[in-house]
Amino acid sequence: MLRDSLYSYQLLNPDDRLFVGLQNYAELLTNPDTLQSFGVTFGFAAGTIAVVIPLSFLLAVYLNGRLPMRAVVRTVVFLPVVTSAVVIATMWTFLLDPANGLINGALSGLGLPRLAFLTSKSQALPSVVLVTVWQQLGFATVLFLSGLQGIPNELEDAARVDGASALQRLRHVVLPLMGRTTLFVVVIMTVFALQSFAPSLIMTSGGPEGTTNFVVYNIYQTAFSLQQPGMASAISAVFMFIVLGISLVQMGLLRTKWNY
Amino acid sequence: MIKSVLLCASLLMLAGGSARAAERGSPTPACPQGVLTLRLLRSINNPPQPDVVAAWEAANPCVKIEVNEVPFGQLADKISVLAASGNPPDILGYDGPNTASYAAAGVLLPLDPFLPAGFKDDVTQASLTEHSYLGKLYSPGTQQTTLAMFYNATLLDKLDIHPPRDLKSGWTWAQALEAIKKCQQGDGDDVAIWGLAPSHFGTGQPGFVYRDLLFQRSAGDPKAPPDSSAYKTYFAISPDGKTADGWLNTPEAIAGATFYRDLFNVAKVTPKAGIPTAFQDGHACFTLDTSYFMAGLIKNDPGFKWGVTPLPYIRSPIVHTGSVTLGVSSKTKYPAEAAKFVIDVSTGTPAEAYAHRARILPVLKSVGGKMPELNEYPLSIFYAELTAWGQPRPPSPHFAQYDKVVSDALRDIAYGADPKTRLDAAVRTLQPILSR
Repeated sequence: MLRDSLYSYQLLNPDDRLFVGLQNYAELLTNPDTLQSFGVTFGFAAGTIAVVIPLSFLLAVYLNGRLPMRAVVRTVVFLPVVTSAVVIATMWTFLLDPANGLINGALSGLGLPRLAFLTSKSQALPSVVLVTVWQQLGFATVLFLSGLQGIPNELEDAARVDGASALQRLRHVVLPLMGRTTLFVVVIMTVFALQSFAPSLIMTSGGPEGTTNFVVYNIYQTAFSLQQPGMASAISAVFMFIVLGISLVQMGLLRTKWNY
Repeated sequence: MIKSVLLCASLLMLAGGSARAAERGSPTPACPQGVLTLRLLRSINNPPQPDVVAAWEAANPCVKIEVNEVPFGQLADKISVLAASGNPPDILGYDGPNTASYAAAGVLLPLDPFLPAGFKDDVTQASLTEHSYLGKLYSPGTQQTTLAMFYNATLLDKLDIHPPRDLKSGWTWAQALEAIKKCQQGDGDDVAIWGLAPSHFGTGQPGFVYRDLLFQRSAGDPKAPPDSSAYKTYFAISPDGKTADGWLNTPEAIAGATFYRDLFNVAKVTPKAGIPTAFQDGHACFTLDTSYFMAGLIKNDPGFKWGVTPLPYIRSPIVHTGSVTLGVSSKTKYPAEAAKFVIDVSTGTPAEAYAHRARILPVLKSVGGKMPELNEYPLSIFYAELTAWGQPRPPSPHFAQYDKVVSDALRDIAYGADPKTRLDAAVRTLQPILSR
């Protein structure tokens, strides 16, 4: 990949290649479309994580308790995880259709205006975030649940004996001990979000106006549709190092101070 | 990463058995050299049809055709991967406007040595231009298409609207829009019958170059001085296929694109997304489609009267030509056999039978001469358009890239983007690619 990024050639004729040195990298850094795709991808990842992490933690707390309907909720939440990303993207494309989609039908039934979820510049990215949250929530919940079930009961019991309320036990006992799990979930969710491809391909084709043009989709389009595999390799290389850097920063910031 | 993708794709193809080289079987009394198996890649529902392949195999018992299919939307990407693999299929069914791209990249084999004498004289000019590169012919062509405007005559009769049935009195888009507005039932969120059906070409989103670039090209003028912006708007790319700046983003092109955007966002007579069968289901008054669509309406009666009128235009009438076609891979080990198949199924009886059955426009004049229906309404509209208004999609050795970038721009314009800003951005992306 690094070697390919130093050449200019077409995928149709890979033998006819020209060594261009770092030219692909220079063009990448000045190409507004590529820079936009990086911005969109990191915004998408931040949005997804900001919603998935707290929501999945709360769900895990709920599922870890002795409340009713736990098995049903667990199944419903986890089902999208084992469903193909392509199937999910296709299904949500139908659900979000402005004319015939179920969601717009419901809005219309309530007397609210129909929304252009996937064709509006301001709504497309939030819509894709919503779909991704729906898909990834179950996986993050299961990870948090396993973390919660690994906390020794004695620690919570001791806090209870000391008079700590449920909220206090959650804040001062459970949350600090969930550090390792949280780190793992954040890193995994970040990687999943940065790898996102199916929503761009199936739901929006990267539009409107590049607002859902995720980096991986951009790499695919640059290599196959625009026939610039050298440039696509350069974007891949830069993206790989950025993702590596983000993961290292996350691991540094979220390093656990507690163990059990 | 690209290599990984290619490796995975290659492994998948190997698993599917489609990446095997053409091979000969053991000799038999009837085939002393063994039965040769040629591999063919085509898009689903496109020629050559299974009965045509079977008939050719029966007439050529020492050659078998192994067919692999992909959806049309994945065809170009599949060919890119296969071409890079070094072991592409022997015969490629591909989209005709990509001929120059594939020829320039050495993917296709020139067919000139295999063609019968005088063959090029029999090919219609639009097809000859589209399937040639640097004076060599790379495909005989299997069919031609143009767009016309279908209308629901049952609905229009009630409104006393009678669209023209000949090119001479064809509507401008301003006239067509009046009829479209009158026919639409409902507005805002509550539309029962749309004025103009959504596109079902490509991904089903707006912006497909074959259909939607015509709005801005028709705002140009081929009779204007060659250095004028009106002339350049009509052709949408320089003659050498290497310049889009000043051709794709002229004031006339922006005006045409603005009209196109307003259909979705101001007049609101066509949806940004919608049912691909809106016209057939009676939920749209008009739709833009090919003669192939007519065959579907004849076969499956929609339950209402329908008609065809020439494609409207802004300043100059124009329709895009071009369709899927067949070529031979430059890497095949059996060029003569592969070329024979391609030429046989694209000419003579198979071509005539396919043209009659599918209601497509023939590539060969000799086939056209045997189709009296070409001069009968409604097929006459398409045939007249092909000969009088037909233009290839902007020819370039980088057409695939042009197609992708312009489609994305037109889709965004349909969704409400500023036409000038978006066309300028498309040119900015495209120009370095075209210049290479």
